[in-house]
Amino acid sequence: MKNVKKLTALTRAGIMESLQFRLGTAVTLFANLIYLALVYFLWKAIYESAGTDTVNGMTFYDTMIYLILATAVFNLLEMFIVWDMSRAIQSGEIIMHLLKPMKYRLYTFWSYSGSYVVSFFLTFIPTFLVVMLVTHGAVPVGMNLIYFALSLILALVINFNIEMLVAPVCLYTESTWGINIVKETVVLLLSGASIPLAFFPEGLRRAVDYMPFRAVYDIPLTILLKKNGSDTPEGLLSLLGLQLIWCIVLTLAGNLFWNYAVKRITVNGG
Amino acid sequence: MDNVQKSRKRGFLFYISIYRKILVQDLKTRMSYRSDFIISTLGMIMTDLSGFVTFMILFHNFPAINGWDYHHMLFLYGFSLIALTPVQCFFDNNWNLRFMVRSGDFIKYCFRPINVFFYFISEVFDVKGIGQFIFGMGTFIYAWNHIGIPVTFVTVVRAVLFLSTASLFMIAIMNAAAATCFWIINSGYVMVIMFRFKDFAKYPASIFNRVFRFIFTFLIPIAFVAYYPSLVFVTPDHVPLLSWLSPFIGVLFFYLSYRFWMLGVRRYDFTGS
Repeated sequence: MKNVKKLTALTRAGIMESLQFRLGTAVTLFANLIYLALVYFLWKAIYESAGTDTVNGMTFYDTMIYLILATAVFNLLEMFIVWDMSRAIQSGEIIMHLLKPMKYRLYTFWSYSGSYVVSFFLTFIPTFLVVMLVTHGAVPVGMNLIYFALSLILALVINFNIEMLVAPVCLYTESTWGINIVKETVVLLLSGASIPLAFFPEGLRRAVDYMPFRAVYDIPLTILLKKNGSDTPEGLLSLLGLQLIWCIVLTLAGNLFWNYAVKRITVNGG
Repeated sequence: MDNVQKSRKRGFLFYISIYRKILVQDLKTRMSYRSDFIISTLGMIMTDLSGFVTFMILFHNFPAINGWDYHHMLFLYGFSLIALTPVQCFFDNNWNLRFMVRSGDFIKYCFRPINVFFYFISEVFDVKGIGQFIFGMGTFIYAWNHIGIPVTFVTVVRAVLFLSTASLFMIAIMNAAAATCFWIINSGYVMVIMFRFKDFAKYPASIFNRVFRFIFTFLIPIAFVAYYPSLVFVTPDHVPLLSWLSPFIGVLFFYLSYRFWMLGVRRYDFTGS
């Protein structure tokens, strides 16, 4: 019980922290809407020149819902662990985190949980409602919402672990910007966040199926849209199972790498 | 006041020689972090490559975007990459402005007998932009050949002129976005948002409806980064007036952003923090 209280305290602190910068949140929200409008115009033009309504099993509405919700999920999952960690290492502050009577990985995850809660209610839910309104209910509503929520939580853990696998690389080089941009580019492209995986050519598609990035964006959205056989129990279970496997593998790998890398920390003064 | 008067009289050559000195110092410090240089350049090329892969995937499924086929889109993409290089290479210090202003370190720039904007901007030269330039040049030349634009003295001079003036638009946007930190604390998100909009520089602005085309032409001039200037090369028979005017508009936007930036500096002086 005491343990849970410790963790929820971190969540509460995170919520307060992200509500602090209200102007920033409002402006970002507005900019996101404009960005989504741009995505809409782009894909409308693309579909108009295609001449057919359905391309690779995706209609214009499917693509739009997929991409808009991918953006919303992106905002929800966005973490700055690479930046935070490298700043903490450079300033020596990391020592204070390591001295805390709590595992560093656990601490980081739970201090981010507050911002998850805030952006879920302030960005994800409004975006979802707008999508529902604009597409006149093209998103199927039913049990898939619950499976989606479950899948989203798994995606969140996978994303956190990818971040935690990349961030300690900062201990070896000073290149925070470079490492971060490589990670971001790879994740966004191969997870289907910038272009739905359904459009990928056959060979690339098969390669992406064996990578963990798909579990972050593509699988939750596929489940939500009931595509790719995720409306049957077998299809659903195999998708969630895949996520679970990646969850376990990446958590183990992240733990191992962090425990190994943390021994290399050298702080000058601090 | 005396200093300001003097700095006005200082000529172009003086500033060039100063820039060279500051640049050499910056490059020396950079070279001591060699792995950073390699990883950052790699990261830069990865982003450009991923944009390229996105195009390949798109055109694997669709024949064209609003009448722009594969090679024309590559032309736009290459054009935008080259036009976005100067803001990356020469104006990268804008990203540090908000930290400097907040911590108070910015005051050091005000005590030099040279232009504050010049001194601040010249302090950082971002090497990794060179990777983007090379990638952009490759794409641009490849697309130029495939479209079959003639290589004459006139077209080459036009390319140099329109590419260099197109780069002023993104510089102006980032200057203005960075300068908001003189008024708003923690205004980093303004820069992040503007930097995200640049993703749409590589698409034809004709895909937007009238309201958005207006916004992205005159308010946040993303459409000038590649779309309007490339029309001069892609459809030489009917070039809209805005395309011919784009070099002048670029200079105007740059000047306005510079004034806005300097207005912020004046305000900073007054708060005296």
